[in-house]
Amino acid sequence: MTTPYLHIDGIRKVYGEVVATDHVELTIGESEFLTFLGPSGSGKSTTLYILAGFQDPTAGDIRLRGQSILRIPSHKRQIGMVFQRYTLFPHLSVGENVAFPLRVRRMGRAEIEEKVRNALALVRLSGFEDRMPSAMSGGQQQRVALARALVYDPPVLLMDEPLSALDKKLREEIQLEIRRIHQETGVTILYVTHDQDEALRLSDRIAVFNRGRIEQVGTGAELYAGPATRFVADFIGDSAFLAGRLATVSGNRASLRFPDGTVATDVPVHGGGTVDQEAELMLRPERIELTREPGPEGTTLPVTVQDITFLGNNTTVVLRTGWQQELSARLSFGHPLVGGIGRGDNLHIRWQPDVAQAFATP
Amino acid sequence: MLLDFGKLGSWKWILIAICTLTALFLLLPIVFIIALSFGSSRWLAFPPPGWTLRWYEELFADPRWIQSALTSAKIAIIVTILSVALGLLASFALVRGRFRGRAVLRAFFLTPMVLPVVILAVALYAGFLRLGINGTLTGFVIAHLIVALPFSIINISAALETFDPAIEDAAVLCGASPWEARYRVTLPAISHGLFSAAIFSFLISWDEVVLAIFMASPTLQTLPVRVWTTLRQDLTPVIAAVSTLFVVLTIVLMVATALIRKGTSK
Repeated sequence: MTTPYLHIDGIRKVYGEVVATDHVELTIGESEFLTFLGPSGSGKSTTLYILAGFQDPTAGDIRLRGQSILRIPSHKRQIGMVFQRYTLFPHLSVGENVAFPLRVRRMGRAEIEEKVRNALALVRLSGFEDRMPSAMSGGQQQRVALARALVYDPPVLLMDEPLSALDKKLREEIQLEIRRIHQETGVTILYVTHDQDEALRLSDRIAVFNRGRIEQVGTGAELYAGPATRFVADFIGDSAFLAGRLATVSGNRASLRFPDGTVATDVPVHGGGTVDQEAELMLRPERIELTREPGPEGTTLPVTVQDITFLGNNTTVVLRTGWQQELSARLSFGHPLVGGIGRGDNLHIRWQPDVAQAFATP
Repeated sequence: MLLDFGKLGSWKWILIAICTLTALFLLLPIVFIIALSFGSSRWLAFPPPGWTLRWYEELFADPRWIQSALTSAKIAIIVTILSVALGLLASFALVRGRFRGRAVLRAFFLTPMVLPVVILAVALYAGFLRLGINGTLTGFVIAHLIVALPFSIINISAALETFDPAIEDAAVLCGASPWEARYRVTLPAISHGLFSAAIFSFLISWDEVVLAIFMASPTLQTLPVRVWTTLRQDLTPVIAAVSTLFVVLTIVLMVATALIRKGTSK
């Protein structure tokens, strides 16, 4: 087995009584774009700070090309980082900001000039050398910060929610820039965000963090189609969870009985396996079919229409089950039922056997 | 706006009158002194019967005045350097430190500002008697440092508080050692605070008189002490000349501060 490019090996960080991260285990390939996605306090930023050397882990190791970097002080790790807050040096011009890492490394004047010019061209800010940071917009400042972090060709670039202070439109614009820069430079990027759209848009792979642990690692499509835990299913994409109990279990497949007596048969079940255990059936709204007639037994459920909202490319229908649980279905534009149904109508939902999953409640 | 100047009507004139009177009240004594320093009357008659530079000549011809000015400058410069250096260290601890009793410590550092100076002077005089440093440069510097330090801490802390430590972290990841990051990034970024601290410290020491009277010896007198003792013996227009120079120096320093602040905020 070859040595992984970057290996985060069982990182654990404890503050007093609080466990910030626990057994974070991850390997990252060279030139990969990997995102840590999770709610605040899930340990994703702590892991990043340990990589940067601002914090020491309680246990575990981090190896870059097989060499542990934990003993190396931050300023000698050569790691690049873009912060959540604006961190340009306020007394230096844009050009001097980008030149700073090179001056610290005592590089020659001509070389510095050339590298600064290239780095600013990379973030499309050529000609801004003499501007002061205070005279630039937030988006421009973060692009300069990106140039400053890339100018010394770091083996890993860390990005800690760099776009969270920007408005939505600007954020999407800079996301595209970051993708382009990743493709042009081939730098390995570890990106932290709590925004699932941002994670899906940018990353090769996503590591979903929850309560200090990684719940699942995979491409966006893998996480969406095959979430390993209820948390991942809930965090990535919209989903409906229907509460019931396991009726039969065989291996990792089971059938669920809902409070109104309806049964969903032969669905893959995660995290459990005893009969009568509480469990939830997960369905993605766009995979829920809405019909007037019930579907084949085991993949269908009677519902009542609560509300209908036209949203342009789809119409979202809020439905209520016999035991008063709400869920929504999306009908694409032009669907035959759109316009033909109204509030209070009794309909049925059905799903293809392979799109449903169940999560046992621990 | 609630209080729009243009909508005040006749109140406007009352407001203007109050402002003018206040300004006159504050400025007249200074104008008066400046006029007297150029007046030809030995008895400080006003309005001056004629104009002369005689008192300035007398001032610059008297080695005792020059000596006192040099003493004042020496003490003020040493106090400024120590005050900024200690103020910087204290501010780092007070702003960045996370320890119990931080708020208490901050209040403690600022007590010399609210303590009556004469009480501080008596206490220091008694203490310095034991140490045998009354009437020495060391005694002077320590006494002035105590009253200058709170102003240093206030100015430097304020600058440091608005400086995001993440910027220092960024410098460290860029390859600067923690000390290099503080020296090359943090210090320049809070330079306006350091500069204000220096100006305040200098001015406080330069025109401080109460502590100086207690600390002074016949051979070591600061300019304000010389003014004070001279005034008690003899009402000479030379004092008006000294005062005028004092005022000019203070104005120059204040203008310099304002200009530098304007420059750094750009």
